[in-house]
Amino acid sequence: MMNQGSATMTTLDPSSQENHQAVDPNQHHMSSYYAPPNSTVAPWSAHGADSYARENGVVSHSGYDHDQQAVPPSRNVQDGLNVATSATTPSSGATNVQQDYSSYGTYQSTDPYGYNNTGYAAYYNGYQQQPNQSYPQPSGAYQNTGAPYQPLSSLQNTGSYAGPASYSSTYYNPGDYQTSGGYTSGAYNTQTNAWHEGQYATYTSHQYPSYNSDSNAAYSSTTAPAASQYQQQYKQWADYYNHTQNDVPCAPGTENISVSNVSSLSCPVPAGYSASGVQAPASHAPPGKPESGLPALSAVQSPAVGGNVHDSYWKHWAPSFQNQQPDPVQSYGQKPLDITPSHENLQQSSSCPQGPSTQYQASYQMPYNYQSSLPTVQQTVTPADTGSASKLQIPTNPRITSTMTMGLPKLDMQSSTTNAVARPAYVSVSLPKTNEKVSSNAADNALKPDTFPKSLCGYVERALARCKDDTQMVASQAVMKEIITKATADGSLHTRDWDTEPLFPMSSVDADKKERVIFSAPVSSSPKSKRSPSRRYKSRWEPLVEEKPTVQPASVTPDASKYGSWNRQFSGGKSDNKVNNSSHVKFSLPQRKTPKTDVFRPAKRQCVGDGMDATDNGEASSDSDKERSQSAYKSAAGAAADTPEERRRRENRSKRFERGHGSRIAANDNRSRNGGAGNVYARRATALVLSKNIEENGNCAVEDIDWDALTVKGTCQEIEKRYLRLTSAPDPATVRPEEVLEKALNMVQTSPKNYLYKCDQLKSIRQDLTVQRIRNELTVKVYETHGRLAIEVGDLSEYNQCQSQLKTLYAEGIKGCDMEFAAYNLLCVLLHSSNNRDLLLALSRLPAEARQNDAVKHALSVRAAVSTGNYVAYFRLYKTAPNLNTCLMDLYADKMRYAAVRCMSRSNRPTVPVTYIAQVLGFTSVVSTTEESEDTDGAEDCVEWLKAHGACLTSDSSGEMQFDAKASVSTLYMPEPEDAVSHGDASLAVNDFLTRNLM
Amino acid sequence: MASAYISMGEAHRRITDFLNRFSDAVSSQDAKSLCLIFSISSNSSFLLSLSDALITFQDASRVMRQADRYSQYADILLPLFRALQSYRLKNLVESYQAFEKAANAFTQEFRNWESAWALEALYVIAYETRILAERADRELASNGKTPEKLKGAGSFLMKVFGVLAGKGSKRVGALYVTCQLFKIYFKLGTVHLCKSVTRSIETARIFDFEEFPLRDKVTYMYYTGRLEVYNENFSAADHKLSYALSHCNPQKERNIRMILKYLIPVKLSIGILPKTSLLEKYNLTEYNNIVLALRRGDLRLLRCALQEHEDQFLRSGVYLVLEKLELQVYQRLLKKIYIIQKQKDQNKAHQIKLDLIVRALKWLEIDMDVDEVECIMSILIYKNFVKGYFAHKSKVVVLSKQDPFPRLTGKAVNS
Repeated sequence: MMNQGSATMTTLDPSSQENHQAVDPNQHHMSSYYAPPNSTVAPWSAHGADSYARENGVVSHSGYDHDQQAVPPSRNVQDGLNVATSATTPSSGATNVQQDYSSYGTYQSTDPYGYNNTGYAAYYNGYQQQPNQSYPQPSGAYQNTGAPYQPLSSLQNTGSYAGPASYSSTYYNPGDYQTSGGYTSGAYNTQTNAWHEGQYATYTSHQYPSYNSDSNAAYSSTTAPAASQYQQQYKQWADYYNHTQNDVPCAPGTENISVSNVSSLSCPVPAGYSASGVQAPASHAPPGKPESGLPALSAVQSPAVGGNVHDSYWKHWAPSFQNQQPDPVQSYGQKPLDITPSHENLQQSSSCPQGPSTQYQASYQMPYNYQSSLPTVQQTVTPADTGSASKLQIPTNPRITSTMTMGLPKLDMQSSTTNAVARPAYVSVSLPKTNEKVSSNAADNALKPDTFPKSLCGYVERALARCKDDTQMVASQAVMKEIITKATADGSLHTRDWDTEPLFPMSSVDADKKERVIFSAPVSSSPKSKRSPSRRYKSRWEPLVEEKPTVQPASVTPDASKYGSWNRQFSGGKSDNKVNNSSHVKFSLPQRKTPKTDVFRPAKRQCVGDGMDATDNGEASSDSDKERSQSAYKSAAGAAADTPEERRRRENRSKRFERGHGSRIAANDNRSRNGGAGNVYARRATALVLSKNIEENGNCAVEDIDWDALTVKGTCQEIEKRYLRLTSAPDPATVRPEEVLEKALNMVQTSPKNYLYKCDQLKSIRQDLTVQRIRNELTVKVYETHGRLAIEVGDLSEYNQCQSQLKTLYAEGIKGCDMEFAAYNLLCVLLHSSNNRDLLLALSRLPAEARQNDAVKHALSVRAAVSTGNYVAYFRLYKTAPNLNTCLMDLYADKMRYAAVRCMSRSNRPTVPVTYIAQVLGFTSVVSTTEESEDTDGAEDCVEWLKAHGACLTSDSSGEMQFDAKASVSTLYMPEPEDAVSHGDASLAVNDFLTRNLM
Repeated sequence: MASAYISMGEAHRRITDFLNRFSDAVSSQDAKSLCLIFSISSNSSFLLSLSDALITFQDASRVMRQADRYSQYADILLPLFRALQSYRLKNLVESYQAFEKAANAFTQEFRNWESAWALEALYVIAYETRILAERADRELASNGKTPEKLKGAGSFLMKVFGVLAGKGSKRVGALYVTCQLFKIYFKLGTVHLCKSVTRSIETARIFDFEEFPLRDKVTYMYYTGRLEVYNENFSAADHKLSYALSHCNPQKERNIRMILKYLIPVKLSIGILPKTSLLEKYNLTEYNNIVLALRRGDLRLLRCALQEHEDQFLRSGVYLVLEKLELQVYQRLLKKIYIIQKQKDQNKAHQIKLDLIVRALKWLEIDMDVDEVECIMSILIYKNFVKGYFAHKSKVVVLSKQDPFPRLTGKAVNS
């Protein structure tokens, strides 16, 4: 398979190869760097890898081959497109990336919608609670934007390209989720309409609100230093945002505003795109080109998405372009071809990334630091990193496991490519200054203690104390700096309780660092890296593989890689993370939107191949090894495409930004980039930071996460809380601390409300416990309470969840009613899983002392009765059952009775008195010797039951009802359960459930 | 460590020697020597000396890069070196991980080879993968970590199975890998995973089961027979286990005992009792009392025997099967009563009063009241252990005059 894959690659992608070759000179650095990894990786990459390695010097191909076997056809098509695009525009890579995302987007949109909605909504709630005031409206906005997913996919994609997006991206990581959360189906409709109309304004306005807090602020601060124009624009945007939040139509009115809108839109939705956005601006730099490109695009098609991005850029960079915006947007949306032109623009704008880089310096600090500190380490580190990354990935993603072996090489590849691509861009831009900056950054990092509260100093000390080496130190300093600047910006610096503030995750920093190290090498080598629209890796929590077939191949193997890249991004210094993350987030959105049709696929292909600008490659690499490899090729090609003039132009531009930035920093006395970034973005609540961290970690290898540092400490004091499944990091403001949870449990226990309510409450309690990693007797109590409730109403699936949790809790030595639940477990396995092996397992695991327990003894005798079919014993045990054993037996009683009656009908002649049956089969509540009235009550029930099951009843001479055994042999049947549901689980039918259990 | 005494030159020589052996074996398609090369856990002096050399001579990859004929197999050999080295250093987890990589690379190569000449080597690899994984898991468990390598070995072998399971000459090897998979799954308790493999083996029309190597067939039948025991599908279990028994090498008493351990309960439940000499020969004395209880109709003895060996039976998974023998014991008891009655009064022998049975049980110190005994009698009749009917009014079991206690021989009991 691998061979085939490679073959297809070569044959199908001649263009890419060509590009690659052309690029080679540029990429010498890369190849040299990678060579060592290749050799080490060799076992992994065996076939394809080798060939690739020779050609490109990039190892990642082999991994790709495996994964993408399924995809080849689509790829081919894409390749062709890519080639074409590449031929026309060297920098088409960026576009490719976009398309990829779009493809993703589609797939996401189809499958996970429900998921996203719920999850996001939940998140969103948390979000709203956060300090940002601007947010509330955004939520509404989000919903609207949510609509755009399908119809507007193109738009979102473009959005991602918008330069500003990249900044926002940092914020957006959280924002992403939030925004997505907002998306409800209802929202979709509205949004779609808006899009069709071609009104950006509406769309943007919605998104904007969310942005306001983050992106706007960020923009103003960051951009301001760079270019006065930008500042103005940004300000306008901010204003605009305010306006637009309520008014959709307003946005289009002002050109500047509209531009900003576009950018903002793109930013919030397609966090991932932000990176690309950065690139886009570059393309705009030569205004003439974009224009020409745009018309062509528009002429070809009317895809809105690509246009948006471009538009935004244009506006940013060149006011003249504003007019064009609407056109490109509309034109771009639907067809892949359009995309290519847009890419061109983007590519042209490659210089632009520099601009962003300067602006975002804070975010990029991390990489710089790494470079400076660890230049020598790079080669050695790579293998280690990959290894760790692979490990991490494996546990989390089942899919990855299959590709485990490949994991190492892939990771390396990823890291190499991604690093080269994503960070490098920035690095390259800023390189001349980097060293200085690094040092300065380090200096900056040393925060000035005087102005900070003591608790904060303590916090910093704690954080630094965790560092094992200098690089960690630098990294954590960077992170902290950002945290603190944020805190300063949103005024929480002195109000926050730094003593209890959870530390940011260290491990991630480490990982980041390592990755960075790896990356740094490629960066210097490949110019392409400069434009790195960060790609969005799906969080592992999102449904991964259901992508469209074309996308899938990439996604499958790539999962690991994605995660790796994802990890890297997240793990990086916070500023970095934020930027990247946001970009990622955004990407996801665009993916959903754009993916619409096959048309895009080719484009996507292109994205993969060419697109991989620095950022794209790096982050995109996650998609697949193949992509990675391709990206490597393409990036090389792109590099080749990069003419010296272009580079110079870019450099100048970047310098300009740097200058501006620097001055601003000086003014602020806030010299670290992180700090700057922090200020810009500062509006965020700390909770968000935390949650972001967690999220990042969620995407890291589980083992590497420093859970202690991440554990949420709840602050919510409300006793009642609805359960919402988390799809992102929990917000401490919505999490209840242990004391409150205890009250909540009491409340549930004493509440007269119905099971649905209690179940909901208990689930939210469980969630809060889990999130805070509380595992003690309270936890056990909660699960026991829930388990009992579930048993009482016969909700076995919920009960099983509790049972499995309890099993581990008891195993940890936490006290509880373990015997009681051991009995339940036995009964459950016995009566409801008809699996002998499970039963054997349950029996053999029963400790000797448990066998002495009454409840367990009872359960064991029930088992014995069932195994011989002894119905008499069963119903005797039924009447003497301790605890809730009755409830479980109840669920099985019908089957037992039916078997008993069948047995009687075969074995008894001529008749059996119904009273006897009633007594033996537990219809009578009292033993037969007691009062007659009750006896007959039971008999009546029994008669009814027997009739329902087709028994033949006669009455004998004395008038006593008799069961006619012989006649019944052929007439007995098990009636279909009345509440049977087509999907097999009656409890899933809410109405049924309500009527049965709650009324 | 012994390795400390090896000179660099010697180490280099050994490594080169090994590399030569490998490439010679591949080029001459010599599966035998390939087997030697991969049997890492065999502790052969050849491999031991090599691992010492590897420990001394850290940079084996350099040697490998010297010649093309080595470097083309670098993905196999480098991890294999690492595996050997770690194995020597008793770092089994790393050894396993490296070995799995080597094995994976080898499997890829194997896939590309037209013929199945290296099948033997692949067997060794499959075996070693499992053994190393088991040991690595033990190491992990002793360090308080979750043992997961065996599971990983399972999924790796599944891949190997995929390579073999197609058409052609390589298919012969599929059953061996299947058996290794069975061993893993049974060890892990993830028996349900066997299903996919068995399906592929049993539904393939293009390949006759009998064409597989005998040892694999026996192993396969043993494991699938055990699966059938779990499912209480006794006739199928009987068939498979009997096949395994009759084809098993008679010299391998341990294997025979393993088969009998499951075959005996299966045979018991279809009414065939083993000779005591058989039980003794294969040291299966835990079944002694059970057989005796069946002969005598002694319910108490059965229950005692079950209790006595409960753990053992639960672990081997035959407990539930043995427990179901109770009904046979009841039948035997009833038959005895019937015979005694017959001796007293030929005419009324076919009517057995419930009271009598209750008393008999009481004499066995089993406390059951009339209702319960009636229930048991109903079940006996229902399940065809007894022919006749139960008259509820008079509380009498009325036996059929012809063959009231049908023999089970060879038939499964269930309804």
